[in-house]
Amino acid sequence: MPEPVDRATIEALRADFRARLSSSATDRDLQTLNDDFLGRRSGTVTGLLKSLGTVPANARRDIGQLVNTLKREIESAIHDRRAALASSRPPADAVDVTLPAREIPIGRVHPLMRVRQQVEDIFARMGYEVLEGPEVEDDYHNFEALNMPPDHPARDMQDTLYLNAPIAGGTWGAHMDPVPEAQVRAATLLRTHTSAMQIRYMKTFPPPIRIIVPGRVYRRDSLDLSHTPMFQQCEGLVVGPGITLADLKGTFEAMLRELFGDVRVRLRPSFFPYTEPSAEIDISCQSCGGDGCGTCKRTGWIEILGSGMVHPAVLEAVGYDPEQVTGFAFGIGMERVAMLKYGVDDIRLFYENDLRFLEQFPV
Amino acid sequence: MNILVSWLREYVEVPDSPEDLARTMSVRGFSVEGIESSGDGDAIVDFEVTANRPDCMSVVGMAREVATAYNLPLRLPASPAADSGTKEGKDGGVSDGVPGSVIDIRIDDTDRCPRYVGAVVDVHVAPSPAWLQARLQAAGVRPLSNVVDVTNYVLLELGQPMHAFDLTALAGGQIRVRTARPGETLRTLDGQTRAMTTDMLVIADGERATAVAGVMGGGDSEVTPATTTIVLESACFDALSVRRTSKALGLKTEASMRFERGADPNLPLVAMQRAVALLESIGAGTLRGAIIDRYPAPVQSRSLRLRRTRLAEVLGAAVPDGDVRRILRSLDFTAGADDDGWDVGVPTRRVDVTREVDLIEEVARHYGFDRIPVTFPPPAAAPRPLDPRIMRARQLRGVLTGAGFSEAVTFGFVAAAAAAPFAAEDDIVPIANPLSETFAVLRPSALPGLIDGVAHNRRRERRDVRLFEIGARFGRARGESQAVACAWTGLAAPAHVSGTGRDVDFFDMKAVVERVCETMGVTADVTSHTVGWLAPGRSAAAHVGDTRVATFGQLAREIAHTNGLSDDPVYVADIDLDAILRVGAERHIRVEPLPRYPAITRDLSVLLDDTLAAADVRQTIRHAAPATLIHIIEFDRYQGKGIPDAKVSLSLRLTFRSSERTLTDADAQTAMDQVMAALTAAHGAVQR
Ligand SMILES: [Zn+2]
Repeated sequence: MPEPVDRATIEALRADFRARLSSSATDRDLQTLNDDFLGRRSGTVTGLLKSLGTVPANARRDIGQLVNTLKREIESAIHDRRAALASSRPPADAVDVTLPAREIPIGRVHPLMRVRQQVEDIFARMGYEVLEGPEVEDDYHNFEALNMPPDHPARDMQDTLYLNAPIAGGTWGAHMDPVPEAQVRAATLLRTHTSAMQIRYMKTFPPPIRIIVPGRVYRRDSLDLSHTPMFQQCEGLVVGPGITLADLKGTFEAMLRELFGDVRVRLRPSFFPYTEPSAEIDISCQSCGGDGCGTCKRTGWIEILGSGMVHPAVLEAVGYDPEQVTGFAFGIGMERVAMLKYGVDDIRLFYENDLRFLEQFPV
Repeated sequence: MNILVSWLREYVEVPDSPEDLARTMSVRGFSVEGIESSGDGDAIVDFEVTANRPDCMSVVGMAREVATAYNLPLRLPASPAADSGTKEGKDGGVSDGVPGSVIDIRIDDTDRCPRYVGAVVDVHVAPSPAWLQARLQAAGVRPLSNVVDVTNYVLLELGQPMHAFDLTALAGGQIRVRTARPGETLRTLDGQTRAMTTDMLVIADGERATAVAGVMGGGDSEVTPATTTIVLESACFDALSVRRTSKALGLKTEASMRFERGADPNLPLVAMQRAVALLESIGAGTLRGAIIDRYPAPVQSRSLRLRRTRLAEVLGAAVPDGDVRRILRSLDFTAGADDDGWDVGVPTRRVDVTREVDLIEEVARHYGFDRIPVTFPPPAAAPRPLDPRIMRARQLRGVLTGAGFSEAVTFGFVAAAAAAPFAAEDDIVPIANPLSETFAVLRPSALPGLIDGVAHNRRRERRDVRLFEIGARFGRARGESQAVACAWTGLAAPAHVSGTGRDVDFFDMKAVVERVCETMGVTADVTSHTVGWLAPGRSAAAHVGDTRVATFGQLAREIAHTNGLSDDPVYVADIDLDAILRVGAERHIRVEPLPRYPAITRDLSVLLDDTLAAADVRQTIRHAAPATLIHIIEFDRYQGKGIPDAKVSLSLRLTFRSSERTLTDADAQTAMDQVMAALTAAHGAVQR
């Protein structure tokens, strides 16, 4: 025998329906809800209607009305909710936006070129002219004019690769036309630095000058963790009246802070045949903040570039008067900068062209 | 240069720890390669002595620098005062070799040997005393016998290379400093027989060469346990002569390393006196007769002018006079001040100081680079235009990375075999002294390196590879030139849920070449072009006028195979940037008015011989059509069912437009009739 139907039962059913309606989010949920309350066989409201006979006659009419009201209420609520669901369904041509994008292939600039462009930009903003020169050079421009006559011991510092017979050298700078007669010399070696270009430039233009020459240079070094037989240098030269060692210092404090962030910069006396005084320039070690660690060999400093005041013999070789003008010159290795900046500990990675390496650098 | 700190402290009482000493000296021009502590506060510090400072290749030399850095006095090792002249006698007297000496010393070549000091010492060869052995060992030198140990001790202490000959091995009691005779050979101390050439300086006895001057002694006159009398040598040899001999013989020694950088001609006698005093003090021997000093043209110290204004001009700092004087004098220069500066006398050991600027460096070094102020060079002149190559490289980098290519950097030299397919044999430039076969010749193209890069990535399970490189390449005929090379294998269109991917083909690489040309402002015509490094039938060249600007296509299968790239085709391009720059006109950008009338298109399908190039068909159409033809595009090319053998069905869409009026159907029909007639006439085309 079904339970007798009274107002309390009806109110309880209404509350139950409201609760379940609010948690019904799909068509499937609504169908179940419909079946549970209005199903022809086992719907609870249907059951109430069926059992109206058990209600005392004097209350039957009122109770019957109440049950019918509940039934209509439920029908209408389910209908409304179905309509609402239908209106929020994605259109037939909708896509799943969480699927992967169709790739637009994009390559990466080589990290050494990335660094080189940065260095070029810093100097360009300081008013330097940026130019390239030939990679095969003659002995005069690579050594002799730079105060390294034949048999000079400093030539040992730069173990040179020679060609088995001379060839024509490349063009330089904006000078795509034949270079002046005095500069046409058959190339016999792979340049060991880009400083050769400084000679050509000074022989072509009067002071003041302010240039950098980025490019590939060669040494007879075997491949290991920190050496490659070819590497990327950027050498520079400033010549004019009143250029001092203090200017060199100021230039590199500014330049290295821009390149590496907040570092301290120091100059250390050194020796290069084409500069006097000569200085190595160090930056404070960023791994340890200058306290000393493995990276900086416990010194707190990392050597980053070689520099110095242009040797008067070099100025004389190009016809400048060292009494009238002074200058400074420098050379910075892109590999060294890139290794420090990007945490690369094996220089050979730059020359393997492994896409797993290259693609770690941003587009 | 390994310096034992306790030894150094004998000459300068530096209070610092070895670590602090190293730190101080590294900002005075002597980097420290390493510190090896021996406990008890002592250590060996490995100072890097630059090539210009042979005078610092000794304990005393470094002590002088340390004394200057710390502003401390320098105490030189004790040795008898150097008597000069010709007097003969015992007790360290000096002679120029008067007749009657036990040994007869003559310098035949005073250019290569400006000074030779010799001494005859009666010796008792035995092990050195313990203190001497210990000190040599601490400095990293193996003790041998008292005589040899003393020569090594003086070398380390003063930097003067010395040598001891067994007197009995010197024929005729003679020492001749001369160049080697033709065909002369000599067995050096290391047991090797050396063939000498006539430009090499030797120490000879009355008959034959017995030592390579300034490089290494001879085995036949070596001091042995049986030796009773020695001739000690303390000489000065010409730097260039020693350097050339050492290089030619492939023989680098402690002696040659010092001589080839430049020796102090006034050190040999001091060193000889020190050596004799040491031998006598340890009971190893007694000087017989006088020390013989052959020094025909004594070298005077150089004097230089240091101007106060110049010092400030170079450094950008006014160094106080007191500091200038103190630094120079501490380094053993003389410095007499006057109103404008100083007259400076340069010690003969300072072969590196030849000009005023060298003195400025000495002052700056010990004044401290850290005390130089920081300034900035003022703007000098309007900058000159940028090197067009640098702008070009930047543009190409942007375009090629945008096309999915990553930038590679490969070496400028490659193995001969890798270069061979890319240039004629006589155009390859070999390196005279290559490091290895891998780096034997200059690259004729960047492609061998890029192909290697593609193979490297393929071996690491990376199927899709696009690489490019911008840079120099070399040929005997045209020298150095600039090019960009590209290599592409694997997918062209990536796979996606919406459809499968597509592998690269010829037309993808053609697009890259055209894009590069376009970037550089030239329009190239592509024609079939056969070249050994490209697969037949898939190789092409791009021309601007008569100038070839690019060669590209599918990499020849043999080259791909050699590099382990047989699985999928590799497409490559070599683009000549110098050629493009030569033919490219400067770009003046002028806009044209936008069209005012609509265009009209017509399609055309024709049967043609399948060997006929599409470019020829287009050419015929262009000639036949009126000027209103503005565009032709092939949209289908079909061979197979329904098409006769050796024929192809080619479908083209032609677009016409006039700048004066709207074209009519009749206009288009007339044009198409002309086109069809021309195609039939020129190529036997049949309309489908
Ligand atoms: Zn550190």
